[in-house]
Amino acid sequence: MSSPDFSPVTVIGGGIAGATSAIALARHGFPVTLIDEQPAAGGQIFRAPSPYARQTVPPNHEFSGGDALRQKLAASPVDVRFSTRVWGLSPTLTLDLIGPDGIDQLPPSTVVVANGATERFLPFQGWTTPRITGLAGASILMRNGGTLPGQTVVVAGSGPLLFSVAHQVLELGGKVAAIVDAGHRSDWLRLGAMLSLDPARLTQATSWMLRLQQAGIPIHHRANISAAQETETGLLLTVSEMDHPERRHVYAAEAAACGYGLKPSTLITRTAGVQHRHDHVGGYLEPVTDVAGRTSRSDLYVTGDAAGIRGMAVARLRGLITAHAIAQDRRVISARTYETLTRAPLRRLRRLEAVSRRMLPLMNAGSVIPAHLQDETIVCRCERVKAATLRSAIEAGAEDLNQLKAWTRCGMGPCQGRMCEDSARGLLTAACGNTPEEAGSFTDRMPFFPLPLTAVTGTFAYSDIPLPKAAPL
Amino acid sequence: MTPTLQTRPDVFDTVIVGAGVMGATTALFLARGGQKVALVDRQDMFRAASGVNAGTLTLHMTRAQLIPHAIRGREMWLDSASWLGEDVGALATPGLSMAFTEAEEELLRQRARVRQDMGAPIKVVSPEEAVRIEPGVNPTLRAAAYCALDGHIPTYRVGGAYARALRQAGVTIIENSPVETITPATGGGYDVRVSNRTQPVHGRRIVLSTGAWLEKMLGWLGYTIPIRCLINQLVVTETLPPVMGSVLSIANGLLSLKQFANGSVLIGGGWQGEGNINQGGTRVIPENLRGNVRLAQYVVPRLDEAQVLRVWLGLESETPDAMPLIGALTPDDDAFVVGCVHSGFTSGPYMGRLLAERILGGNPDLSAFDPTRFSTPAATGPQS
Repeated sequence: MSSPDFSPVTVIGGGIAGATSAIALARHGFPVTLIDEQPAAGGQIFRAPSPYARQTVPPNHEFSGGDALRQKLAASPVDVRFSTRVWGLSPTLTLDLIGPDGIDQLPPSTVVVANGATERFLPFQGWTTPRITGLAGASILMRNGGTLPGQTVVVAGSGPLLFSVAHQVLELGGKVAAIVDAGHRSDWLRLGAMLSLDPARLTQATSWMLRLQQAGIPIHHRANISAAQETETGLLLTVSEMDHPERRHVYAAEAAACGYGLKPSTLITRTAGVQHRHDHVGGYLEPVTDVAGRTSRSDLYVTGDAAGIRGMAVARLRGLITAHAIAQDRRVISARTYETLTRAPLRRLRRLEAVSRRMLPLMNAGSVIPAHLQDETIVCRCERVKAATLRSAIEAGAEDLNQLKAWTRCGMGPCQGRMCEDSARGLLTAACGNTPEEAGSFTDRMPFFPLPLTAVTGTFAYSDIPLPKAAPL
Repeated sequence: MTPTLQTRPDVFDTVIVGAGVMGATTALFLARGGQKVALVDRQDMFRAASGVNAGTLTLHMTRAQLIPHAIRGREMWLDSASWLGEDVGALATPGLSMAFTEAEEELLRQRARVRQDMGAPIKVVSPEEAVRIEPGVNPTLRAAAYCALDGHIPTYRVGGAYARALRQAGVTIIENSPVETITPATGGGYDVRVSNRTQPVHGRRIVLSTGAWLEKMLGWLGYTIPIRCLINQLVVTETLPPVMGSVLSIANGLLSLKQFANGSVLIGGGWQGEGNINQGGTRVIPENLRGNVRLAQYVVPRLDEAQVLRVWLGLESETPDAMPLIGALTPDDDAFVVGCVHSGFTSGPYMGRLLAERILGGNPDLSAFDPTRFSTPAATGPQS
């Protein structure tokens, strides 16, 4: 065996996958830097609660699990950079950062991308009112802030987060007016049958469902919110049945939480130019990885939900396996040691993955919605682009997302299309009959999010500006 | 358009390679002149320089010799409804070019003088007068050159407008079709072979309007003209309250600064990124990002409230004498080129119209842009 390579590793994202990976990498002897935008590790699920939330939210697995992870990380030699975000990267993986001390750069290193998932949102008439939040956003507000989005809430969208959020509303003393699910009831029953493979999830799901049933909350399957109207005290929400559009139900609520499942955050992996593929079951783009998170670039690994949505338990296992794989690739451990270390985690991973994959169609149950958007519905909130504008650009010949963006500004705003990309793609594929691969993805540009101009310029005098030579006369 | 497999070759009066402002304008006027025209592009139309440039209408930064053309191009943009079929939102504003040092002031006066001689209504004004015209500028300036005939266009609106006009005029648009070879066809004209069609697109004549890719394609026709590819950086901010109303630049031409109707500020000026068009991929040079944005903030101090929303790079092509290539490449008058025009977005529509006029039998004065001035075609003639 040639000599081991202990050059630095940078982990982007301090959630379960990233923090687990960072700790294991440090144990293998690598100098590890962990970057996370939050003030503490934990990611979305293990996010550190506010002091108020610790008092108001009943003790739960997420708090205790998160605290244990944070303690382990603090005890490790991992160099942590919290409240720090990656706003750009070079082809050689120099990372552009902005943190409490302004702009900084991290020289090229092996990068482990563990930046998790983004919630998919699909628009409807009137969705831009502040009384409507994402499911993930509502969950953070309640679990980590101890605050209800409203006293009465309609919970809508698809995937398991629906029931988790509804349960959290009840836990904080709120009322759930209705649960609106894009999925089939039979899909949930089939999933229930598989949960025997994952006892932890089975126990949790059963207790949520019992509680929701006891509260007598109406549940609509194969349905979606088709319009929201603001009233003096809140919202009037129209719920339409997807197979019988004429059947409508109207609910009054103070707020609505709506989200259509998760998709991997691909901003960094796309910019780094690794190979991606469309997962047609999940309805999202994901980086092509092997089981250990290796990509088409030898200096970039992807782990956790960023490599495809599989949930918390799989994220932890993936983080661990990725760390061992890097150790093997760098000749720090032998192939044999790798096998020994990963045998049990891989076995578990395979069992849990079967359940996770069954969740994907439930999360993606809203995929047919964009094709039927009303012309007046705003698709891109940042640039206020309506469905009708997209349709007329498509008619003029825009057949992929980037031409659609260039001609309508859809996706050009501060969020870089994270909110509207799925609905614009759905609308495009429905109108042109092309595939998601042909429709493509918005090209990501730096900075990944708006930067204060003064963070770029710093303190300077006119003579500090390296003026290029004059343009030709 | 989704490329389809063709079994029979398509035959056109003119095949235009490169669907940016110049190629598309040429196509539009040729089709209106009665020709059957195809417009081919390696990607979607208006996605290269014509889709990502700063949208500046400027006489300050245009090469002095091109001032008359830039004035005509600017007029066309401001009047796009009459010839393109829709108003693309071009806005006439004053333009101010500023000097902050003694050397810059000297340069400013020199550049203003040669532009005045070419017909640009530019005058040098005092710092007080500059601040009166544009209250947002840094009052420590030494002098400014004022031009009443500047302005800007929201670039993104242009591509869609051209697409509609071209379809209406009956132009066949062949997108996402990289051209692999152009060869003289037996019996005259040229075969343009594109990567996703089995049969070539045949034109009785061809027009090359491929910007940064002209060097390679002119090579196919036997011309060796080194064309420099500039990789220009652009920075746009989030929307902010009005901080300026004119197009601002500095004496050496390396800044363009304007605020659009929606409140976003666009910072350009030709600061360079790095990359290679043949290998693909361009990237921002961090020091140049910082330099460009510092210059903008120095000129308009209130930009310190702004958020940088996006940075991108666009390609510009330049000949050894920095003058355009417009005209016939062959004695048979069956191959033409249009491109490498400094501040090409300002004068682009006019240049495209001139070439169409020339192809349709007119005789516009293109002598200063003769593409054969650098070399005669290789002795063997066009390569096959």
